[in-house]
Amino acid sequence: MTDHNHNYQAMFLLDNEEVRQGFNAARDWVRSTLEKHGLKVHVLRLWGERQLAYPIGGRRRATYLLAWLEGSGDAVNNARRELYLLGPVFRCLFLEQGEIPAEEMSQGIPEMADADLVIPEQLEDDLAEEMREGPEQEEEASSEESKEEGKEEGKVEAKADPEEEKKETATTGGTNHGN
Amino acid sequence: MATKNSRQFDYKDIESLQVYLTGQGKLLSAKRTGLSAREQRRLKRAVKYARFLALIPYTG
Repeated sequence: MTDHNHNYQAMFLLDNEEVRQGFNAARDWVRSTLEKHGLKVHVLRLWGERQLAYPIGGRRRATYLLAWLEGSGDAVNNARRELYLLGPVFRCLFLEQGEIPAEEMSQGIPEMADADLVIPEQLEDDLAEEMREGPEQEEEASSEESKEEGKEEGKVEAKADPEEEKKETATTGGTNHGN
Repeated sequence: MATKNSRQFDYKDIESLQVYLTGQGKLLSAKRTGLSAREQRRLKRAVKYARFLALIPYTG
């Protein structure tokens, strides 16, 4: 790998269980890990706390941390390895970018009180999901029933058809042979 | 070189990405999106990054 420095945009998914214990502590751990491997952290801010589109390791929600970094590819690889092994980060993405936008640079690393970030409990998520799944499951069950009924009807028809066909062939066959 | 009119896609902008996805979460073809080859490749990358970060689902 080369020692050329590039700008990177990075997104980190933090485990909500660890963020509940203190967002600033989790963010500082990420920052110190990045800096330990020689990356210069220009921006590191909260992007959002949201529900995941699919569960990752039993987690249904996560805290997203957006960063703008400067450093070499080797540093990024080493930092990524450590981020996955230790700490609250369970998924991260590094993308090489040309320049850091001025809007992002102005944000820097904002200070934020731990109380400002409200993370809903996992139990609430489960209940919400059950509420969402409830009507769908009923619909699925009713649709399955209708499908089964349809299949049974189809079977009856399918059974009826060959008999009729046999009769038809027998009658037509008889006439044909007769002729 | 990117032309002035070529579209850029950001993996964080989920709403604009979902315009180009089917209900199942599959990416629409270039024929349907009406994007150029380069724009379609950018869109593809953005969608894949968003899927990786669990911003949009892999399947509907």
